[in-house]
Amino acid sequence: MRSVRLAWLSFRLGVLTALQYRANLAIQLLQSLMSVGVALAGVALVYSQTSRLAGWRQEELVGLIGVYMIVAGLLGLVIRPSMERLMEGVRLGTLDFTLTKPADAQLLVSVKQVEVWKAVDVAVGVVVLVFAVLRLGDRVGPDRALAFGFVLAAGVAIIYSFLLILATMAFWLVRLENILVIFGSMYEAGKWPIGIYPPWLRVALTLVVPVAFAITVPIEALTGRLEIATIAVTIGLAAAFLVAARWFWRFGLRHYTGASA
Amino acid sequence: MSRLLAVYRAKFRTELAIQLAYRGALAIWLIGIVLEPIVSLVVWTTVANGQGGAVGGFTAGEFAAYFTSLLIVNQLTFTWHFWFFEWRIREGFFSPLLLRPVHPIHNDVAENLTFKLLTGTIVVPVAIFLVVAFGATFQTQPWQIAAFVVALGLAMPLRFLAEWTLGAAAFWITRTGAINQAYSVVMLFLSGFLAPLALFPPAIQAVAAVLPFRWMVAFPVEVALGRLAPDQVLAGFAAQLAWIAGLVLVMRVVWAAGTRRYSAVGA
Amino acid sequence: MTAQPSIRVRGLRKTFEVPEREAGIRAATGSLFRRKTRSVVAVGGIDFDVEPGEIVGFLGPNGAGKTTTLKMLSGLLYPTAGEATVLGHVPWRRDHAYLGRMTLIMGQRNQLAWDIPVIDSFELNRAIYGVSREDYRARIDELVELLELGDLVRKPVRNLSLGERMKVEIAVSLLHRPDVLFLDEPTIGLDVTMQRRIRQFIADYNERTGSTTLLTSHYMADVEALCRRVLVIHHGALLYDGDLTGLVARFAPRKTIVLDLERGADPPTPDALTAIAGGPDRIVGSADGRVTLRVPRSDTAAVTTRALADLPVLDLVVEEPPIDEVIDLVFASGVVGVEPTSDGGRP
Repeated sequence: MRSVRLAWLSFRLGVLTALQYRANLAIQLLQSLMSVGVALAGVALVYSQTSRLAGWRQEELVGLIGVYMIVAGLLGLVIRPSMERLMEGVRLGTLDFTLTKPADAQLLVSVKQVEVWKAVDVAVGVVVLVFAVLRLGDRVGPDRALAFGFVLAAGVAIIYSFLLILATMAFWLVRLENILVIFGSMYEAGKWPIGIYPPWLRVALTLVVPVAFAITVPIEALTGRLEIATIAVTIGLAAAFLVAARWFWRFGLRHYTGASA
Repeated sequence: MSRLLAVYRAKFRTELAIQLAYRGALAIWLIGIVLEPIVSLVVWTTVANGQGGAVGGFTAGEFAAYFTSLLIVNQLTFTWHFWFFEWRIREGFFSPLLLRPVHPIHNDVAENLTFKLLTGTIVVPVAIFLVVAFGATFQTQPWQIAAFVVALGLAMPLRFLAEWTLGAAAFWITRTGAINQAYSVVMLFLSGFLAPLALFPPAIQAVAAVLPFRWMVAFPVEVALGRLAPDQVLAGFAAQLAWIAGLVLVMRVVWAAGTRRYSAVGA
Repeated sequence: MTAQPSIRVRGLRKTFEVPEREAGIRAATGSLFRRKTRSVVAVGGIDFDVEPGEIVGFLGPNGAGKTTTLKMLSGLLYPTAGEATVLGHVPWRRDHAYLGRMTLIMGQRNQLAWDIPVIDSFELNRAIYGVSREDYRARIDELVELLELGDLVRKPVRNLSLGERMKVEIAVSLLHRPDVLFLDEPTIGLDVTMQRRIRQFIADYNERTGSTTLLTSHYMADVEALCRRVLVIHHGALLYDGDLTGLVARFAPRKTIVLDLERGADPPTPDALTAIAGGPDRIVGSADGRVTLRVPRSDTAAVTTRALADLPVLDLVVEEPPIDEVIDLVFASGVVGVEPTSDGGRP
């Protein structure tokens, strides 16, 4: 399909551009290590005072941090930078160049900007996750691994949709250039299992900003805390979010191009 | 001096108008500033409750008190300029500031204070809500409230000077992102932002005592909680004043050297 | 009191260290703190004086060093070597006393806040420069009138067109009645009408206030309209310092003679033209009844006389070469073989 091929070429160009700046690798490694170090230190501090946090053992929390880093890396790799580029494109009018290309605009804007070195976050996250799972000692069978894969993908899809919706608001709210920062702040809260948050805050984290689905749920899948119902809900929610984001995107696009909305 | 006051007055007026025009963006930054202490609050009250009421000398209520005070102190001391120095230098945005017969620091101070004034109107009610919702307990005596105001009043210029001087590193180093992040990490731990310093291993507490970060955030919070004796409070003031004096000197030197190096790039 | 020059420049020199990019991760990580650089001479040691009240034009192509010179004189850049004083101050010390007496206006660069009415930014500048209320009122009225601002001051910069933004930038920069104006490409990007208006304003303002004005441009029209004195700068060196007519005489020693011949007349032979012009290389073209010759200034009269005598001339025009061509010639000739001089030529 032509759209996919164009998107792939765009993606490839982004990667090649990013690769020009090799110094970024060293910097990114430093930043990833600092980021994961802070998170793990926080966990260590908590567990110096207790052995269970809302029923979670230290290894489970370390695994949570691993998933946190993996998802952060996946988001930072292509989704977040592309959404920032999209908002900038709306503001500066450069979005027009994308719209005149013979391919699906949503696909093109979603892979426009690649921060190749964010893959380091993913790598660091994987290392931490594997370490935690090994320490847990439970056997992670294929059923858990599969569940993990599914809910992780679903979680990323949910967050992608959420970010796209936020970025689409740029069609109307031009002054809200930092709207994606909301997400960044909420994402920080995902460093801890949502179970510790009082119900009113939990709702905000799960429904309004679906951070919990992307982080807590996958690690629960690996540690066997997950029920089938939750998996089903997560995947269903992912589908619903994707549909809603697509609809809102097309709505916004019609408004932007001046068609009656 | 009266000229400077007139400049501040005029700058406040324009800055207020500009920031109000961007109140949506302001609200978003506010969410970011406010969320971290809330998360820590939830985490530590959970820990305390899980351990039968208290941990490291703090009950759940005292943790709530700590983090709500931290919320206020952080909002009033926080600065953002060091994240943008590199961009400002690169885009030549410092040039107009350097051409004015006023030190550029005043421009940033005015912007910073305006932001705090505007967002404070939201933060205070939020803090009150949290105090109620999480049952924060304070053991503060009246004199300690006054001491808190003084500690806060000293912490604000202290943190501003430190972070503004840090920003000036951008005159020499082109990629300050990592440095700024490293600073934030150190700040997180040693300023009592992540958790009360009392919970850290003694080695870390010793380091924290000789660095300025504690005096930027943790010290005013501890005063507000009523946990410090008069002699400790006075010693704290002395430390704050000493650090401020030292930083003013460093800032002047760094800034003078930095502007020497600054080449206004672009057209 | 004898008038001291407003601006004195001696041996002013600026060298930039430009980073060189190398491949490889080690070089890239090393480049975080210490970058491989090479030296680029932006301004290579220039001397000139500017008297109070003069309007002087800096002419040069992009990258010639004009903006760099202006930035050094306004205090934004430290020179690598040399001295300069403006109004008795060393600019790069950035004394507040100096900063309050000068202004730097850069084309397409705003110091005005984007989202609030222009007049509010004016108020801020009033406080910064300590302008009294009465002076402020008077000056705003004067600037609004001279620049034809009308109601623009009530609008935020965001809502203004490019030309309107330039006018408002100029207005805010002059609120403190500076004694020295540095204008960097003030008409760049503007349409022809606006360019003319801004040039007119600069001339009027200079007459009213007697402020010393240094302006850079690569538009010949700016310099032609405003500056009796021109400094030509190229590759960081001063190629010429004097008036415009002198520039033309020095670098364009030839004039163009265009002859329109009577219809039906026989076209002149090459030999005939050579005899009239004084050499085959002086013939530019001969076709369709029009003959174009390029001859040295000193020969213009003689050639014209011969042409009128020997050819059936219907119309004759003697032209100066277009100044742009002259400037191109100046730049093409470069530093080698050209003696920079300080011709008097001041009115």
